[in-house]
Amino acid sequence: MSSTSIEYTKKDLPSNVTKLGAALVVIGLVITILAYFIDHTRSAFNNLILLMFLSSVGVGSLFLVVIEYLGGAVWSVPFRRISEFFGAVLLILPIIAIPVYFNLHDLFHWTHIESVAGDKLLEEKSPYLNEMFFTIRVLAYFLIWIMFYLVITRNSRKQDVSGDQKLTKKNIRYSAIFIPVFAITLTFASIDWLMSLEPHWFSTIFGIYYFSGTVLTALAIATFAIVSLNEKGLLVKGITKDHYYSLGALMFAFTNFWAYIAFSQYLLIWYANLPEETFWFLARWEGSWMYFSIGLIIVRFLVPYIGLLSQPSKMNPKRLKIMSVWILFAHIYDLYWLIMPTYSKDGIVFGWIEFGFPLLAGGILILVFNMRAKNQNLVPIGDPKLKRGLNFRL
Amino acid sequence: MSGLDYTQEISVVEGQPSLREIEDLISKPLDSKPDKKYYIALAITMTMLGIGVIALGLSFYYGTGLWGNNNPVGWGFPIVNFVFWVGIGHAGTLISAILFLFRQKWRNGIARFAEGMTIFAVMTAGIFPLIHVGRPWLAGYLIPYPNQHSLWVNFTSPLLWDVFAVSTYLTVSFIFWYVGLIPDFATLRDRTTNKLKKIIYSTFSLGWRHSNRHWQHYEMVYLILAGFATPLVLSVHTIVSFDFAVSILPGWHTTIFPPYFVAGAVFSGFAMVQNVLIFIRKIFNYEHIITVDTLEKMNKIILLTGSMVGYAYAMEFFIAWYSGVQPEQFTFINRAFGPYTWAYWIMVSCNVIFPQLFWFKKIRTTIPVMFVIGVLVNVGMWFERFVITVTSLSRDYLPSSWAYYAPTLTDAGILIGSFGLFFTLLLLFTKTLPVVSIAEVKAVVKGSQPSHGDH
Amino acid sequence: MSDKVLFSYTGIFDKVDDIIHAAEKVADAGYTKYDVNTPYPVHGMDGAMKLKPSKLGYAALVFGLSGLLAALLTMYWMVVADYPIVIGGKPFFAFPAFVPIIFEVTVLAASIGTVMTMLFLFFKFPNNKHPLHDTDYMKHVSSDKYGISIQADDPAFNENEVKSFLESIGAQEITPIYFEENEYGYSAKIFEPKFIGFLIITAFLVSGATYFSLNKLMFMTPFNWMMEQGKAVPQEYNEIFANARSMQQPVKGTISRGNLPYEFKGKPEEAERVLLNPLQLNEKNLTMGKANFNIYCSPCHGYFGEGDSRMRGQFPNPPSLHSEKARNWSDGRIYHIISDGQNIMPSYSSQLTRQERWATVLYIRALQRSLNAKESDLK
Repeated sequence: MSSTSIEYTKKDLPSNVTKLGAALVVIGLVITILAYFIDHTRSAFNNLILLMFLSSVGVGSLFLVVIEYLGGAVWSVPFRRISEFFGAVLLILPIIAIPVYFNLHDLFHWTHIESVAGDKLLEEKSPYLNEMFFTIRVLAYFLIWIMFYLVITRNSRKQDVSGDQKLTKKNIRYSAIFIPVFAITLTFASIDWLMSLEPHWFSTIFGIYYFSGTVLTALAIATFAIVSLNEKGLLVKGITKDHYYSLGALMFAFTNFWAYIAFSQYLLIWYANLPEETFWFLARWEGSWMYFSIGLIIVRFLVPYIGLLSQPSKMNPKRLKIMSVWILFAHIYDLYWLIMPTYSKDGIVFGWIEFGFPLLAGGILILVFNMRAKNQNLVPIGDPKLKRGLNFRL
Repeated sequence: MSGLDYTQEISVVEGQPSLREIEDLISKPLDSKPDKKYYIALAITMTMLGIGVIALGLSFYYGTGLWGNNNPVGWGFPIVNFVFWVGIGHAGTLISAILFLFRQKWRNGIARFAEGMTIFAVMTAGIFPLIHVGRPWLAGYLIPYPNQHSLWVNFTSPLLWDVFAVSTYLTVSFIFWYVGLIPDFATLRDRTTNKLKKIIYSTFSLGWRHSNRHWQHYEMVYLILAGFATPLVLSVHTIVSFDFAVSILPGWHTTIFPPYFVAGAVFSGFAMVQNVLIFIRKIFNYEHIITVDTLEKMNKIILLTGSMVGYAYAMEFFIAWYSGVQPEQFTFINRAFGPYTWAYWIMVSCNVIFPQLFWFKKIRTTIPVMFVIGVLVNVGMWFERFVITVTSLSRDYLPSSWAYYAPTLTDAGILIGSFGLFFTLLLLFTKTLPVVSIAEVKAVVKGSQPSHGDH
Repeated sequence: MSDKVLFSYTGIFDKVDDIIHAAEKVADAGYTKYDVNTPYPVHGMDGAMKLKPSKLGYAALVFGLSGLLAALLTMYWMVVADYPIVIGGKPFFAFPAFVPIIFEVTVLAASIGTVMTMLFLFFKFPNNKHPLHDTDYMKHVSSDKYGISIQADDPAFNENEVKSFLESIGAQEITPIYFEENEYGYSAKIFEPKFIGFLIITAFLVSGATYFSLNKLMFMTPFNWMMEQGKAVPQEYNEIFANARSMQQPVKGTISRGNLPYEFKGKPEEAERVLLNPLQLNEKNLTMGKANFNIYCSPCHGYFGEGDSRMRGQFPNPPSLHSEKARNWSDGRIYHIISDGQNIMPSYSSQLTRQERWATVLYIRALQRSLNAKESDLK
């Protein structure tokens, strides 16, 4: 075990990637601002997709970091930093939420007091679904996530210098506290932002549904970054096919998990056939939404499933890169499927507005990552488990 | 602060025993004659089994009217016990398959035993749907074969899914278990001096030669089996949950049921495995193979799954309110404050509150305390199934037919008998087969794998 | 010794690192028919022995897909093609509800198939007659040592060279392994008499048990209790009642739900006088009447009431409904005829409800008007 030594020297990230990120952000911003002037309702819906996508990246990455501490995993230690960097998206989430917040009336039916008044169900729900409480909750989610992000990553960064093992122990503690908090906040965030778009609809599994997509997204973006950086030699030496395999296997597993959760939800509602539940799925079977719903099965499940099924494909860097980008796309597709039927009841809408927001998302992710990577090591060199992580073999 | 060193891997086997010592230790119960304690234990479990057999015999002779089942609660003890035992069976496959996929080496010491428990628990569980139909000798009609009615079974019925799921689960668990046993049979074959044993072991080892040309495929097959068993184990309790959730009964029809049931099953299964392992390691001196560290990790999983179950309870309650559906709201209020209040609060305290004690390392590593919590968890999980099954049925949509369900002595006898059957099989298992995988434990002893550095 | 056939040369190693290096060297030396035996799988041995990756994944894929297709097609044929029944308002091909079973069968087929492929096809098990069995070498590698065995049928095999080669790579206890008499040329056969006998016995036992339980056991006490309950069986003797019958006549004066008895039975004149059509003349009632007329009346009376029967003489043709007599009957009289019958025409009171009868009367009136319209109708 002693024969490997950690070979890591800090190198700058290629500047053209940063430039690409900046360009994407500029183009994205231009399109989105323009979009808000032209059709602010539609833009708000798209902005919500953007918000939920970046939330997935941010809080999902934080979840990956936390679960590594808690599970005592070693194989992922060499690239824990990558997830930490993506976790920084949490810091700008409130900014992205602002335009959504100012258009709440366009998004959420229950914010209209006059339409709630006649609706018995909504009246009953109003202790929960009201703007005041909604605001408090949303602020609480952001605050909690950012707080944990700052504490955990600060300890991790400190360790680069000191190599103090107590910091690992501390972070394990914080992680243990974070897990229940994460479960509750993520569930209620998904209920607030996504489920309450159709305030009459309810499903107990919904939080887990969003959780599965969140973890998958965080895994995919981390995998993409890890494989690309490692190919350029920017990471520590000693990352092998076994590490790649673990990433691929996890993406594969969570693809299946998503399918399991989505199918369970669909089957139970389809089978019981209660009108208070089925209308949500019927809305996604109306007009061209039908093709979009069938597409969801293919995009979100079948393609990654077949793409990552065989053992060699889970280790193939090219395949991993393609699949991770595909999974990111699939998450946006999924969010579109969750959100847009509320906006456009007759069928799918797609235009330059829908195109602009994902561009902005891509740009933000690149910029955030590169800004973080500028001043920090890409590898937690002080982590006591790093050497074991590099020695990891299946 | 304990002097934990994260740079070093904690060995799953304590004290660096030699390969020979491990083998001797594990096969000792097979080579030695059972002692008095074993017979006492067997006598107790056989008595319990006997009670069950008598209760079942009476039920067959006089009919299912001996049970507490009646309108509106048609699903009493039999279904509660069925779900309970299937749940117990889930830990085994989880340990042998999911933890294998996650490369958790500490599973190697306990996997064989947990797999055995899976098989016995599923066998025990299988009895209940059969007796619950009233005429178990007609169970053949559940199989889609061209029969004289030229009718086919109802493929859209979750009860039929159960037939497929549970029998598939039993078969695949059995295959998994047997594949794991083949190398151990070969080792035993080469150790034994008894002629009869040699023939038996040779037959079951199929002529295994420890060849590395075979080990390669063997490991692949193990990986593939684990890959199939993982979704399978999820599917089984998912389908059991569908038995309830595809209905439109308030308290049963809720979309979180599949993952919630799976978490609950793993939860109770782990508690059962932990309980039994505490005895096994003591009786057979396996303290170095099944270490306190292993038990602590199991307790962590109990804590995790227990909290998941708690999450599901909370979610059900919240969404029942949020949905605005009155029968749904009534059901949950009725559960917590209705005639079955006692059962509900036993469930909540045992499943959600007591396992939270495992947040403390001291409790996670103190054997008597963890044993008690493990027992409580299983009590709680049994009551969970009781609460779900009985409260919803006893207060259904038609208030005129509301009734209080009370089990009879026969019901209790069958429940005791199911424990008797399970533990009898388990006791026989400990004396006939190696309860710890010899090959797998050898593979994780320190110094048993080549060092990686030089190639 | 001399008549024994050599199988292989074996050597034993103590340390796991040594066996890896030794395996590498054997592979480098160009031997192909050799084996490394270790009590547990050693990491990195595939690479050292230069083994090709296992192909079992394909077996799993093929078996899994076959299971999937078999389940899907079988269920489709059974519930869509062979015997479709509507269950729970779901379509015949209720795919979401098929998924659980498809999944289970897929997993079952793939697991069994892959394991069988490995054991019987790849390993050619069961094989307890391999020359390595019952040797000291096997006792060692089965427990705590690591061994290499270079086989005599290797093209590069040369007894002395192999011996010295094994020595050079550090092997201990270098021993030759010979075939025993019954081992040479042995290969596992499926059609072994013992195995076939086992299958036949199993088949007999299973079918016997099935036959017994379905044909004998079900008729034994207490299994027959479900059939022989103390209950009243229709058309059977029953001593509870005075007339010793299970089925009793209803109490006098009982009428079945929704069927009031017709009170003008055999009194056509009275019916003509008293009964009035309670239905309004509107499109709904006329449609109802037309439908019933076409079903029940038209076979004999014809679609337009002209007495042009479609019965081809099997039944005497009724007179036309457009006769003076028929036109002058009151609604009540026509209603009476439908309810009570007339001449050879039977009563239709069991086929038509009262409302339907009155609606039919309306339609008959409309038919009569159509051939004998009044002046006022043209306006």
